[in-house]
Amino acid sequence: MTTVGTALPAAQTTRRAWGPALPRAIAGLVILVLWQVTVRAFAPDFVATPTGIAEAIPRVVSSAAFLGAVGITLAATAEGLVVALIVGTIIGVLMGRSVAVDRAIRLWINCFNAMPMLLILPLVSLWFGYSSLARFATIVFAAIFAVIINAAEGAKSVPREYVEVGRSFRSSGLRALFEIVLPASTPLLLAGLRLAAGRAIIGAVVAEFFTAIPGVGYFILYNSRTYHHNEAFVAVIFLAGFGVGFDALVNWATHRYLPWYRRDEQTE
Amino acid sequence: MNALKRHGPFLASLFGGLALWEIVGRNTSAAFMAPLSTTIVRLIELADAGQLWPEVASSLSLFITGFVLSVIVGLPLGLLFARMRVLREALDLYIMILYATPMVALIPFILSLMGFGFAPKVLVVFLFAVFPILYNTVEGARSIKPELIEVARSYRSSEWALWREVMLPYTLPYTMTGVRQAIGRALVGMVAAEFFLSASGLGGLIMNASQSFDTAGVFGATLIVGLLGVGLTKVGSVLEQRFARWRG
Repeated sequence: MTTVGTALPAAQTTRRAWGPALPRAIAGLVILVLWQVTVRAFAPDFVATPTGIAEAIPRVVSSAAFLGAVGITLAATAEGLVVALIVGTIIGVLMGRSVAVDRAIRLWINCFNAMPMLLILPLVSLWFGYSSLARFATIVFAAIFAVIINAAEGAKSVPREYVEVGRSFRSSGLRALFEIVLPASTPLLLAGLRLAAGRAIIGAVVAEFFTAIPGVGYFILYNSRTYHHNEAFVAVIFLAGFGVGFDALVNWATHRYLPWYRRDEQTE
Repeated sequence: MNALKRHGPFLASLFGGLALWEIVGRNTSAAFMAPLSTTIVRLIELADAGQLWPEVASSLSLFITGFVLSVIVGLPLGLLFARMRVLREALDLYIMILYATPMVALIPFILSLMGFGFAPKVLVVFLFAVFPILYNTVEGARSIKPELIEVARSYRSSEWALWREVMLPYTLPYTMTGVRQAIGRALVGMVAAEFFLSASGLGGLIMNASQSFDTAGVFGATLIVGLLGVGLTKVGSVLEQRFARWRG
């Protein structure tokens, strides 16, 4: 828990500098001590404790089993995410630029977006078996609707004048798309990417839970079933860290390379 | 005519999608996809055999128990945090961390600690739902203008009156945003609990159908959960809209 604590929102803590740092540190300590004492007093030995986790971290992060699992899950997530980004952006831009397409599929996109992505698991395991293909499909399904909705919103909100100026200079449709619509909707595309990445890795994990194929999800499942809760918890910390880290990476990259885009605070 | 114009695109999209489902379903293998008609027939069969409604009831009772619990805990705790600044500053970071933690990853721990009963499932739904409510309530309460509380104070309002007349009305719109998010997450928690703890309710129905290669059953039960999700999300949005007017 402490590792996550120190790695979390730098932007938030620096803003108010030292004000809440002390109560925060005390509360963190109290939480850790309470956790430790409660588990020691009431729970079986295998249950995760802060000291147990701290002890397990170096062992786990240098173990081939964990690194292999992380590699597999990250590669699968990246693969699914890229497909979801490409296909999702195409569908989203079509929706954003064409009222007819929007009317035809908006309803279904919203429905699928509101549906718990877990529901796809039994279907994909029926279709693809208990395989990495099932995981791939789950990741794409988990990520794509966030991409579509944000891309559609972005493409719709491109100021009309931009497109009209492009047209008066006789830019072709495709060129207008790549040089006007997509750049103008970048902030929302980035928001979609951040949302989608978080969902994608959770999609990977639940698919691994469900199909028991190797990866971080299976690492957690296996270790918790064999009463290695401390080890399993390290993987949970990794997952929480991934979400936060990816967010931070996108923010950093935006500030560094696209400083003219003010990122919205709201992502939903 | 006007109604047709207004709802026309919606209906066209709805029926177009359903027709597409039917056509694709009819032209692919039955193991791959069940067309809409087969799905509905299968649902009626399940209902007649008494296998559908008890599962719906079981899922709903799980959802409602976990969700209500998360409101009962999240709302007062959020208000308390708002009133006691030290507490809030001390804990908001940890709430953020828990909010960001993928709850689904905690299910194996809950399973091995609490087993297969109703309580661990409720805990899963609760964990999925409580943080959006808590987080948004704290955010809302934080946005109360200090002058309001000072004015109430100078009129010697009691602590109880302050909570009831100032803090609660001011915070509820934000809490309702949390409630809307929590409804969606509680639904995910419900399905996750039914999938990964012990198969029960609609999730269990889907699992059983999938294990016996009953594709129509999978589609049918999934459809019911999807409809439930759309309906509950709608309720959440209506609640949010209803209270949004209070925002100052």
